[in-house]
Amino acid sequence: MAKLWAVIKREYIERVRTKWFIIVTLFGPVFFAVIMILPGYLSVKGMREARVNSLRIVDATGMGLGERIAMRLAAPQLAVGDVPKLAQVDTVDQAGVAVLEDALVAKVQAKEENGVLILDSATVLRGTARYLGRDAGSVGQVEALEAATRFALLSARAEQAGITAELAESLAKLRVNIDAEKITNEGRGGSGLAGTIFGFGVAFLLYMSIILYGQNILRGVLEEKTTRVAEVVVSSVSPDVLLAGKVIGVGAVGLTQMAVWVGSSVLFWEQRSNVFKALGVNNMPQMSFPTIEPIVAVALVLFFILGYTFYASLFAAVGAMVSSQEEAQQASQPVLMMLVFSIIFVQPVMMNPTGQLAMVMSFLPFSAPIIMPMRMTATPVPPMEIVGSLAGVAVACVAAIWLSARIYRVGLLMYGKRPSVRELVRWVRQA
Amino acid sequence: MVDLALEIRDISKRYAEHVAVRTLSLVVPRGTVYGLLGPNGAGKTTTIRMILNIISPDTGTITVLGKSNRDPAILDRLGYLPEERGLYKKMSVRDVLRFLAELKGVGRKDADRRIDEWLERLTLKTAEKDWGKSKVDELSRGMQQKVQFIGTLLHDPELVILDEPFSGLDPINAQALKDTVVDLRRRGKTVIFSTHLMDNAERLCDAVCIIARGEKVLDGTVTAVKAEYAGRTVAVGLEGGATTAVQAVFHDASLVARVDDNSRYFEVELAPGADAQTLLRRLVDAGAAINRFEKVQPSLHQIFLQRVGATGIEEGMSGHG
Repeated sequence: MAKLWAVIKREYIERVRTKWFIIVTLFGPVFFAVIMILPGYLSVKGMREARVNSLRIVDATGMGLGERIAMRLAAPQLAVGDVPKLAQVDTVDQAGVAVLEDALVAKVQAKEENGVLILDSATVLRGTARYLGRDAGSVGQVEALEAATRFALLSARAEQAGITAELAESLAKLRVNIDAEKITNEGRGGSGLAGTIFGFGVAFLLYMSIILYGQNILRGVLEEKTTRVAEVVVSSVSPDVLLAGKVIGVGAVGLTQMAVWVGSSVLFWEQRSNVFKALGVNNMPQMSFPTIEPIVAVALVLFFILGYTFYASLFAAVGAMVSSQEEAQQASQPVLMMLVFSIIFVQPVMMNPTGQLAMVMSFLPFSAPIIMPMRMTATPVPPMEIVGSLAGVAVACVAAIWLSARIYRVGLLMYGKRPSVRELVRWVRQA
Repeated sequence: MVDLALEIRDISKRYAEHVAVRTLSLVVPRGTVYGLLGPNGAGKTTTIRMILNIISPDTGTITVLGKSNRDPAILDRLGYLPEERGLYKKMSVRDVLRFLAELKGVGRKDADRRIDEWLERLTLKTAEKDWGKSKVDELSRGMQQKVQFIGTLLHDPELVILDEPFSGLDPINAQALKDTVVDLRRRGKTVIFSTHLMDNAERLCDAVCIIARGEKVLDGTVTAVKAEYAGRTVAVGLEGGATTAVQAVFHDASLVARVDDNSRYFEVELAPGADAQTLLRRLVDAGAAINRFEKVQPSLHQIFLQRVGATGIEEGMSGHG
């Protein structure tokens, strides 16, 4: 046991010390946070910043549409308490549009103005307007203008129809938002959308970790083989202990990283309103965190450990089989294929987490460690199914360890040509 | 009964295409330096790996320091330097050595003290520079070899097994290794090393075993082996080299089994049944100008060539040396 501990310690410390590990572990959460905040932040910020100050509106509608648009564009600034900067509106008649348009286009070319929004009778009749500007390619800018124009037009028409300005505005602002909530056996289970996103997150996190750390093991084994240090080590400990120490040590590195990631994500989630406020965003997306039942939490950790062990021992066997990095890439294809196969089906399973495909994929030992955790977090799964799936993975795990230990024992001291399948079978027999 | 460091009884190891070791038996008394000699591919490395329980023999038993070599505790009392040497390149020298010591059951404090001693002894730690703090791949090849020795000996093993220890060593490290072997023997340790360099073996070993094609050819103490082959070899020195008539005498199969021709100095192994007097008479008759004629003890090199011959070398099986 002392020797196993020595191997685990070395594998763990040598990896945790690397710059690569420190960077990924610390910046992973920052990266996730950016992904979580950025879309919301940008959309709000984009509207707030809509460049109304250097926007010119040419209004030939004769019904004050330009003023309404200018006010509407300034609304986000009003909301956060800034002094609104209104776009300059030029009210002209239909004939004056062409003259002013030419003059303003010249100004845009000279970069004195950012863009020109032209409203005329067609705007009132058919709801079309024209925008000429340097940023005419920006979807955000054009969408902001469209929304403001639509709002202005709607409220103007409503007023014409005899509805008061206040009522017109509230009508124009009408929005529908369905808050979908998941119902589980235990009751209400938080936002359905959040569950889906969380399920995807879990599946990808498991997939990424298994690939990253599985290949890490492969490289470690290959390094011991190519530097020939393996022979010194196995003269002190049995290859089985070395293999076990490696898998446990590297697995502990993976768990450490995940703990940091999950911990900081939860912290961020709890502090999200403060974070958004600090960034000057008030109306953040409404989402409640999906509740994780204890059995699911335990099963998640077990699935990671078993799934990781299954793939890690296979990757270790591949590392022991080959003698160079190039060979390793080829020889690890079959193992990678199993992982890729699992991840390909993540989306279809997500669409229908209780369907037949989902059922099958969450019981196949090689895809279960990725598919089942996703299903569990997205939708309630009967505990018996979880236990059954875990048992299947555990059995496959034992088989993989048995097979890998044998290949590892023989392969570790074999150099030269990569073994054929027949030779591999002989290795397994003779070990 | 002699206290044995190693007793191998009838071990065999067969691979798919060939037999690496065939019913090999040998004994190594404690406190001796023992040479395992043989051409490349003779089965030396396979034998050594079986002693260390890295691979297991198909048949036969191995007893190390009085216990079966399958007893895991026995590995802590062995030190092993493999032929193919290597260390973790990205680790610091001290961390690698600590790790190797820990694998042999040496505690951290003890290990640190011994590491310092060894680093100083092999001049890897001096007043100016402590290489222990450097990463392994910052060291020169020669220095890495020293670190590897230290790793082999750090836990003060009772039995040290060195596989082709002299291959790839620069002269300074080779000398350091010889000094170390002599020192180990003085301290009552047992050293087994394999080599195909007979000079080293002859100078260092108390006893040897020559193996070829997986089989034992001969074994015994160096003195006994040489005595056994003494009297069959004659050293002949000639003024001005051998004439055609003299060459004819040397190639008379009824008289000479083998001759090592060094142009003016010849080592002649007599054919079975022939005696030195006849050889001398025939050489004089052939008109040879003899300045030396002496019955000598053969070198291990000659015994090796004589017993293993060309056949043992030609089938050198790579990979399982």
